[in-house]
Amino acid sequence: MAILPFNTKNFTFSIQDVRRFLRSLRTVKAFVFFILPTSLLLGLFLPNAAETLNSFGLTLIQLISFPAIPLVLTAVVISTFSIFSLSDSAEKEFKFTRRLFVSLVLLILFVSLFALLLSLYQKPGVLSPEGRLSIGTYMLDVTDIRLTLSTAAAEVSDPFEWAKKILPNNIVGDASRGQTLKVITGSILLGWGLSLLPKERSAPLLSIIRGIYDVSVKVLDELLLIAPIVIICLIAGAFSSINSEIIVSLLNLTICMLLASLASLGISRLIVKRFTTSAEREASDVNPADSVFLLGLSTGSSLACYPTIMRAMEKMGRNCSHSEAAASLSLLISRMGNIIYNIIAIIFALNLFEVRMTPGLLIQVLFLGIATGISAAGLNGVAVVPTIGLALTSFQLPIPPVLVLLLAVDPILTLPRAATTGVLAMAITVISSDRDPEQTCNAGSYEGLS
Amino acid sequence: MFISTFKLTRRFLIGVSCALLLFCTSLSYCRPVFAAEIEYIDKILSRGYLNVGLPPYTTPPFYYNEDDGALAGYDVDIIRDFAKHLNVGVRFDRESKSFNDLVRRSGADDFDMAIGKLGTTYKRMTNAHPHEYMNFRHSILAKRKAIANLQGDIPDSEFAKVLLNSDITLGFIGRSAYETYANSFFPNANKIGFDTWAECKEALFNGEVDGIYRDATEIKKIVYREPTLSLDYVPVLFEDIVDQKSIYLSTEADTSMASILNYYLAKEVAIKSDSEIIAAFPEFYKPLSLRSSQSSSKTPS
Repeated sequence: MAILPFNTKNFTFSIQDVRRFLRSLRTVKAFVFFILPTSLLLGLFLPNAAETLNSFGLTLIQLISFPAIPLVLTAVVISTFSIFSLSDSAEKEFKFTRRLFVSLVLLILFVSLFALLLSLYQKPGVLSPEGRLSIGTYMLDVTDIRLTLSTAAAEVSDPFEWAKKILPNNIVGDASRGQTLKVITGSILLGWGLSLLPKERSAPLLSIIRGIYDVSVKVLDELLLIAPIVIICLIAGAFSSINSEIIVSLLNLTICMLLASLASLGISRLIVKRFTTSAEREASDVNPADSVFLLGLSTGSSLACYPTIMRAMEKMGRNCSHSEAAASLSLLISRMGNIIYNIIAIIFALNLFEVRMTPGLLIQVLFLGIATGISAAGLNGVAVVPTIGLALTSFQLPIPPVLVLLLAVDPILTLPRAATTGVLAMAITVISSDRDPEQTCNAGSYEGLS
Repeated sequence: MFISTFKLTRRFLIGVSCALLLFCTSLSYCRPVFAAEIEYIDKILSRGYLNVGLPPYTTPPFYYNEDDGALAGYDVDIIRDFAKHLNVGVRFDRESKSFNDLVRRSGADDFDMAIGKLGTTYKRMTNAHPHEYMNFRHSILAKRKAIANLQGDIPDSEFAKVLLNSDITLGFIGRSAYETYANSFFPNANKIGFDTWAECKEALFNGEVDGIYRDATEIKKIVYREPTLSLDYVPVLFEDIVDQKSIYLSTEADTSMASILNYYLAKEVAIKSDSEIIAAFPEFYKPLSLRSSQSSSKTPS
């Protein structure tokens, strides 16, 4: 159990003890026996403070998110540069790139199929009569469609609006506006451009980018110390403000996502076991998949898992460039937690409106779940939920009531979603990175974070 | 004998004449207390009650029968209060065949006025004179799937025109203002008029129509009373298409009573919106228990 940050006998107090205490809260035991009960008790006994706690939690999240944009920018630039140029052996790098993409595609297909089968079995949107009543009551007024005739003239629709939302126009401007998706595409282009330059000309800029990257990782890791406080505030706020009847009504959906998340942990553990040597495994006391999963679960941020993944890869002696490329790609773009969540959410909506399942429809669900999940790249928390709108539109299902319900339980579901993305990113990194102790990250660059 | 009989008859006649004179004198003294110079109002005062037309339906909380059969409701109270200001009683006539028939009869001087959440249309205004007292948004209770099918990815801000020009199947009470509105606002819709509101709802739940059309107080009442319906049906509210609810008067009544009625409506009633009505009568907009739900399904509202 966590050690208190002060000596109870003579009340000496040190920053190091506080850091150690906060870090010790990032364990299953601390989550189950300290964070969760504290949050629930706060929510139960201070219901009037729900708004304040929630607001405080969101403020702290804003602080934790501070290094996110520079980290995304630099990690993607470095990864892209690594993929295109870093190795002396083109054949070796091609093998890595191929392995990365093949493993990504196969794992995405596997987990998507698993999520589909799980949700078909679990039937997340099949509700009891009491559940329908609770949900119906919850939706009163909220989902009404309010129309006006006297709206301003409709804007001319732009067929390439979606592309404008993805493609960068000024990477610094995009970064300052927090447009993560544009930052990712801009960074890919920047990394590609750097790889085309002769090494001596790209080295100075690359060194600056790596410097920003290192400091971002370090700052993120330090700020993550307050993650347990954030999660206590958010859970307490959510507990006293979320309609408990809704949670009970949508229990199937919540269980389905939690099961998918636990299954992802199992898959990742197996992959770590299968794709590492016993010597590599001995480098860590625990399966690194567990640490990543817990960090994702307790922070609700998959990006927060990045330093832990890199630390584990460094301990295993894996190729640093490969690890950075694989981890950043799977944490930022092909976020499998979002894909799994979207597939479950689509099946939830189909169940809710009693749509008959046919093989063709299930293939559509699989395809749309993957597409909308990947389209959520750059989005965090509740912003992920509306991405299933495209799938609902294609099934001609009403969007507002589904979103209202998903958003109602999202404060809970965002945790397993982030943990799933983190733990499967770990699996991808383990599969695709080479065992190359000579090319491991600079001695202690990630080790020093612990 | 003859003389004594004559005396008796003369005395009797004198007595009767005196009594008549006394009665007439007292009448002439009493008359100014109840009389009005406006002839039409004077007629009402002489009659002792307002003759008011009310629809042949039951629409709580506006007009309905209590458990003991007594007439009650917001509209009923408005009229009773107005009658109290005139110092007369009220007699309600519920023999009209439809809403339109009620307005027509009002214009034909069958009653002093007609009330009962009556919408205002150009057609009705050719029959009788409206005096606004409520203002409700036009609404549709529609199948969510039908709306999703129609809306696709069109944003709500642009959906109103699409919906109004669509070919959805729309149900409403026949020979009501909403038949007129449907013809005017939904030119391409398949329009079906039903005899009662209960039949409209039944048609929606049986899938015969995609939506049913009425004001927001009636549409919202359905989902408030049975919240489980919110999953499959959605209230579509037109924020800027309003149904002006009016009290109708014939030309003669309007000429004589418009001022006093308008004064009363402005001072004592004030124009109410659908949201105000829903907030003022929460007991009619809460979920029904199973038992009351069964009994209400028999009400032809």
